[in-house]
Amino acid sequence: MAISRRAFGLGLLGAAAAGTGGYLTLKDRPEFRGYLGNRAHLFGFIGGEKQAFLADPDVVRALGGYGLQLDARVAGSVEMVRESALLSQKPQFLWPSSSIMVDLARKSGVAIRNDQVVLNSPIVVYTWGPVVESLKKNGLVSVAAKGGYNQLDLKALLDAVLAGKTWSALGVDELYGRARIVSTDPNRSNSGFMFAGLVLSLMSGDVATQELLAQHGDQAKALFRSMGLKSSSSGKLFDQYIAGGLGAEPMAVGYENQLVEWALADPARWQRVQAGTGAKPEMLYPRPTVYSAHPLIVIDPAVDTVLGALTSPQLQELAWSKHGFRGPLGTVAAGSGTIAGVRPAEIEAVLPMPSADVMLALLAQMEG
Amino acid sequence: MPKTLTSVLLLAFSVLLSACNASNVKFSIVSGSENTVLEPIVQEFCSKQDASCTFAYEGSLDIGLGLQKPGGVDQDAVWPASSVWVDLFDSGRKVRNLTSIAQMPVILGVRKSKAAELGWVSKQVFMKDIHAAVKAGKLKFLMTSATQSNSGASAYLAMLSSALGGKEVIEPGDLDKPDVREAVGALLQGVERSSGSSGWLADLYIDSASQGTVYDAMWNYEATLKETNDKLKQMSKEPLYAVYPADGVAVGDSPLGFIDHGRGADIEKFFTDLLAYLQSDAVRKRIADTGRRLPLGGPAIQATAEPDWNFDPGRLVTSIRMPEPAVIRNALDLYQQALRKPSLTALCFDFSGSMEDQGEKQLQAAAQFLFTPEKASEVLVQWTPSDHIFVLPFDSAVRDNFEASGDPAGQSRLLAAVAEQHAGGGTDMYACAEQALQKITATADLSKYLPAIVIMTDGRTDGGAEMFLNQWRNAPVRVPVFGITFGDADKSQLDSLAKATSARVFDGSGDLAGAFRAARGYN
Repeated sequence: MAISRRAFGLGLLGAAAAGTGGYLTLKDRPEFRGYLGNRAHLFGFIGGEKQAFLADPDVVRALGGYGLQLDARVAGSVEMVRESALLSQKPQFLWPSSSIMVDLARKSGVAIRNDQVVLNSPIVVYTWGPVVESLKKNGLVSVAAKGGYNQLDLKALLDAVLAGKTWSALGVDELYGRARIVSTDPNRSNSGFMFAGLVLSLMSGDVATQELLAQHGDQAKALFRSMGLKSSSSGKLFDQYIAGGLGAEPMAVGYENQLVEWALADPARWQRVQAGTGAKPEMLYPRPTVYSAHPLIVIDPAVDTVLGALTSPQLQELAWSKHGFRGPLGTVAAGSGTIAGVRPAEIEAVLPMPSADVMLALLAQMEG
Repeated sequence: MPKTLTSVLLLAFSVLLSACNASNVKFSIVSGSENTVLEPIVQEFCSKQDASCTFAYEGSLDIGLGLQKPGGVDQDAVWPASSVWVDLFDSGRKVRNLTSIAQMPVILGVRKSKAAELGWVSKQVFMKDIHAAVKAGKLKFLMTSATQSNSGASAYLAMLSSALGGKEVIEPGDLDKPDVREAVGALLQGVERSSGSSGWLADLYIDSASQGTVYDAMWNYEATLKETNDKLKQMSKEPLYAVYPADGVAVGDSPLGFIDHGRGADIEKFFTDLLAYLQSDAVRKRIADTGRRLPLGGPAIQATAEPDWNFDPGRLVTSIRMPEPAVIRNALDLYQQALRKPSLTALCFDFSGSMEDQGEKQLQAAAQFLFTPEKASEVLVQWTPSDHIFVLPFDSAVRDNFEASGDPAGQSRLLAAVAEQHAGGGTDMYACAEQALQKITATADLSKYLPAIVIMTDGRTDGGAEMFLNQWRNAPVRVPVFGITFGDADKSQLDSLAKATSARVFDGSGDLAGAFRAARGYN
């Protein structure tokens, strides 16, 4: 059929009108905003442990409903608030993994518009079945009376590592060489940073102060030096732990949510690992441990909406049920199931972190 | 009328749709050569997606050095052998979503009869045993250059770790200890051939075996040894026996990561889909079948153990702790400057008439780069005083010959000698190769050096290879003849010479530093 010029013109006009009308109607419906191309693209840095959460299609869709699309690049929590190479890229938000980072960001001259803790997760030690079995025999690992989870006498383990004890001296005959525990780089990433605070407090026998740092800082430094190359992000270290297995990463420091998230991401895989004959990943709660809070630091006004979205019940539920993050106060969303043996509702013996000044002094001492 | 309107709307809609489908993704990956065997698996995915994928193969350290440059690498994804090099060099955090595809311990494959002779079959072998065998002259091995390729760097760092006697990690002061330097230097005396690439090294082993030359041993990935042994078995040749040093090995985690060049959401989606494909059960099984270890793979997925050569991807290997980045840098400098086996290199410079103008300029630039220590050390290919260098300018015959050790004064003498040469006359590169070989074989303490001939030419030559090759076959050592091409080069004659002598040809007209870095990695 031939199309007259008039009909063609009218047709284009009609298409345009239909398009515009539809656009005007849909624009006010948040869940459709993204499809019309007016999603806000926001760029910022996040700790690696939150990468899977933000890449989750359900989370992307939920954020899309708010007209938000995050270009979130992984960087260490400490470096994202201090490194000029990263800050000069003009991030619109930062999402590190500890409240102290807000202070550090401020000290680096970041123009903070707003900040709020969105998620929480305790620091844990990842290891493998054979290590847990051996450490239970010599008392380094015990089962918590309440909650039935495995807790680690971290002070005793650190003493053994600092004394240069071998794995076989700790009863772990599968592994050759000296016992070791690895965290991320405390100068770049938060889980290593918090672990450094915890180590210093344990060596000091109390929450560390400047005086205690002067007495015990060298021990903390020696421990971190013995780790060698340290990963810049918690997500990377956890991946290395899972990928490397018992031989490469016998003990690695991380967040509670990481293994939970890994198990939930592929339940069939988790079943297979549990049923298999190989060494199984295990989580130990140090006694005492520290809580990592994940504050969203808003720099650009356009990110205000992100704060509202992330603290909405919908996204909080996704954070817990699919990614294992506890809510802003360390609480667990009601009615969510747990995975056998991990993720207790309550954790005993949580230590506060040393102050920001003590932590900065510790970092400076360890860098030197 | 309404009917017309509808058709027009439909037409407009279908035009829009087809516009959306028309964009075929082009995706490029820069990868370590050990992944050559995985490329077909990736290409299958690409063709299913109607995407066109290209692989560029480089040493993992070169991939790292690329990331360090302000512009970064050109490709959409990096796939080095170990994330250590990304950690070390990617200070601008250009790489995203870096994900381990497989685990690959770097171990020593020893010809089975040799392993039996050394008493290593079914025994725990420590690095000190390997050290003793090298020192007693009972073992030589192939190993890639520690400053270019991950497998060589891994073997070298494992040697350093072991020399420290069970210390948890190499620390800065450790590299200055004379006993550590002595132990590692002695181990590296075992290097018989080197290369910039693990895949090429394995090919060298197989090609040599097919031509009747058998090397004792090779440091390489467990999976690459499996690949090598599969081929050796097909040729009814003796396999390499897997020696897993009990005091710890370095394990490459073969990570694939994305680099955003702002080419649109399609490209990143393609990357995440590719990652998901590589992590799907069916593909994991295929990757495991190549001898790679998979994260929490378990016996259900890993390749079957092959006890005849001690291969067992289920065996627990203790990995060494990687040192701090600054220590790794120092260790690599130490390797290049002091510990690696010295090189004995004869450089043939083509100053024939066809090199006039452009070719001559490139040749002089090459000499400037080679003999200016500051320039060469930027890419870790600097000479050291223990190296020995011959320079032979040639046209239809060798014009002159110069020699010097690799100290700065010697290098500047060689540079001055090359600067006086100008293009003119006929060409016979074989004449130069013959004299170069004579110079090399006449060197005292020949076994202390890694010998090589490098011919820099546009490739258009008279004469024939036969006389040279006869001489070459009768020489007491196997001397590879590398080519670096300039100007409007004809590579065919150089290629066959390189092939006959187990070497390679590199293009020097584009990235000169890159070509030399590549060639020097083999020497």
